Amino acid sequence: MTNDVEMKEVQAPSNSLSSATASSTLQHLKEISSLIETGAYAKEVRRIVRAVRLTMMLRRKLRAAVVSAFLSYALAPGSEAHSRLSSFLPKDEEHDMDVDTATSAAQGPAKYSLPELEIYCYLLVLIFLIDQKRYNEAKACSSASIVRLKNMNRRTVDVLASRLYFYYSYSYELTDSLAKIRGTLLSLHRMATLRHDELGQETLLNLLLRNYLHYNLYDQAEKLRSKAPRFEAHSNQQFCRYLFYLGKIRTIQLEYTDAKESLLQAARKAPVAARGFRIQCNKWAVIVRLLLGEIPERTVFMQKGMKKALTPYFELTNAVRIGDLELFRTVAEKFSGTFNSDRTHNLIVRLRHNVIRTGLRNISISYSRISLADVARKLRLDSQNPVADAESIVAKAIRDGAVDAMIDHANGCMVSKETGDVYSTNEPQIAFNSRIVFCLNMHNEAVRALRFPPNSHKEKESAEKRRERQQQEQELAKHIAEEDDDEF
Amino acid sequence: MDPQLTEVTQLFGRFKAAFIRNDFGTCTNLLSQLKVLLTKFPSLPPSFQQTPNAVEELTIARDIYEHAVVLSVKTEDQDAFERDFFQLKPYYTDTCGIIPPSPQEYPILGLNLLRLLVQNRIAEFHTELELLPPSALENPCIKHAVELEQSFMEGAYNRVLSARLTVPHETYVYFMDLLAKTVRDEIAGCSEKAYDYLSINDAKKILMFSSDQELSEYITEEHPGWEIKDGCVFFQKAKESQPCKEIPSLQLINQTLSYARELERIV
Repeated sequence: MTNDVEMKEVQAPSNSLSSATASSTLQHLKEISSLIETGAYAKEVRRIVRAVRLTMMLRRKLRAAVVSAFLSYALAPGSEAHSRLSSFLPKDEEHDMDVDTATSAAQGPAKYSLPELEIYCYLLVLIFLIDQKRYNEAKACSSASIVRLKNMNRRTVDVLASRLYFYYSYSYELTDSLAKIRGTLLSLHRMATLRHDELGQETLLNLLLRNYLHYNLYDQAEKLRSKAPRFEAHSNQQFCRYLFYLGKIRTIQLEYTDAKESLLQAARKAPVAARGFRIQCNKWAVIVRLLLGEIPERTVFMQKGMKKALTPYFELTNAVRIGDLELFRTVAEKFSGTFNSDRTHNLIVRLRHNVIRTGLRNISISYSRISLADVARKLRLDSQNPVADAESIVAKAIRDGAVDAMIDHANGCMVSKETGDVYSTNEPQIAFNSRIVFCLNMHNEAVRALRFPPNSHKEKESAEKRRERQQQEQELAKHIAEEDDDEF
Repeated sequence: MDPQLTEVTQLFGRFKAAFIRNDFGTCTNLLSQLKVLLTKFPSLPPSFQQTPNAVEELTIARDIYEHAVVLSVKTEDQDAFERDFFQLKPYYTDTCGIIPPSPQEYPILGLNLLRLLVQNRIAEFHTELELLPPSALENPCIKHAVELEQSFMEGAYNRVLSARLTVPHETYVYFMDLLAKTVRDEIAGCSEKAYDYLSINDAKKILMFSSDQELSEYITEEHPGWEIKDGCVFFQKAKESQPCKEIPSLQLINQTLSYARELERIV
């Protein structure tokens, strides 16, 4: 280390600081690798999960020099994996690297053979390459790692593998060539299913859904989703994604009620840090709720950090709420760029008839009797025969239960019915029940989600039992001894 | 040239000749022979092998299936349409970059959208629609189908019917006729709910019948619940939901018990 500092001083004083952080990062990486080792030997997946989490925290601090130093530390220099991985790293920071490798080589331990460590190195290099925007190298590196993974069947690798799958797909997405890896992902999914790697299945299913939805292949996505095995979610993040994709598919297939549930759940379950994801969820959820005839509350659009992104949807909601076709059209045109890039344009086209419905409902609430010609004027229906159009539109709205009215054909007017007292029906009872059930379910799920270290409960009991047993034995021995005394 | 390809080309030539003569019997025969021959081409979906003849093979296969789809419309066979369309679809989605797009692509996709609309398969309609790029929505054939769906959802049935006059392609007429029937059923369903009664003349106009005879036949066949008297059609009203008089006790007991059980678990 002294060697290191001296060199920096000669070059530039500011570099010494960066080299200090570099060496501390390296130190952290070494700690992580030892965590993986203990995890691998003890077969404790939990430790490896923790290692991956710690790596994500170091992500910003990674430099080429640090990564390559770590590679030489973790893998045998000259081994196949080492040379392959090093070839992906940029060589422009040569001077920095020399020193670090020198120091680490000196203390390089001989525990190369561990496959977990090798896969971890792949993951590290891949993350580094993606962060450095070297997407083509990232693609090559991820493909190599997938080849290596296919020949490995260890449960402790699964966690690392699922992360690798994710970055594999991500690197292809960044270079816009997702279609190419669909076959590989499918075969990986099959492999994960055969090996009962549930985390891998979960991740790969999501990647496949993402892959299909990227090309708007909703049909294939739904077919895969409905046939893929489902089980209790292992990772919250993956589950959120799954819900989001599910919500999207259901929206397209007009199952709005289910779609709304999935999308809102996804938005709620997503971690606070995942702002982009939550914005997407909210956008879709807003549209689905509008399609259902609901008006989302203002607070949805005022959430922290989302206000700007949700503005187009806010104005859209406003147009639907007022039931003004003209305003709706201007909003749709004004933000057509946003809607096209969000790929919600077709959904917004569907909204048109909701705008008419809302307008009609407003009219029916305000007037007990109104002529169809006035309805057509208020809805701004522009066609050759607005009255006939208005009549059939009102008729359909009545059939679908959107308005409670009758048409008087002879006089050409719409007659609203008196609204009944909702509290005289079972409606409030049902609503109350559904809320109670929701709360109870939430409580139960929260209890189930509590985590306990495995078997700690059992061990404690057996320890107690052992003590008890020993005590009993002692008493028995004493008793026998006393009896013995008595006899004599 | 590859002998198989020559054979297919010749057979397809005869098919096209019969097609122009409107000799549909011969067409169907030739088509089944052609389909068997096509199975021998290795470059076709799903294998997509890179063969030297790939471009010609794919082009002719796509052409054959396009004709097959149009033929199924002319013979008014919806099942055959669906089958042929699904065979054709991979050529549109997965061969970009190998062969240039077909000029028939959008008319046929629009036709398929129309078919889904006629069969009231709205979810599939939207799934198909999502596959199209935004630019495709400007195409008159696609636009026609999309606007129809919109008017259909809104309930502006007049617009649906007048759209028959502005069909972008002659093959669309068949489905538009079918759509008129679907629309009539929809109107009947709506009228039932929206009106107490209609005079026979109004009912005739709304349901698009030219004579009283047709109207009464339709009513006896499709809606036996309706009643014709005093020159008016009376619709049977479905019973309105009554305000509940009695307490649904059994359900309430069940719910309360389940709350008690859940609470017990919490406390």
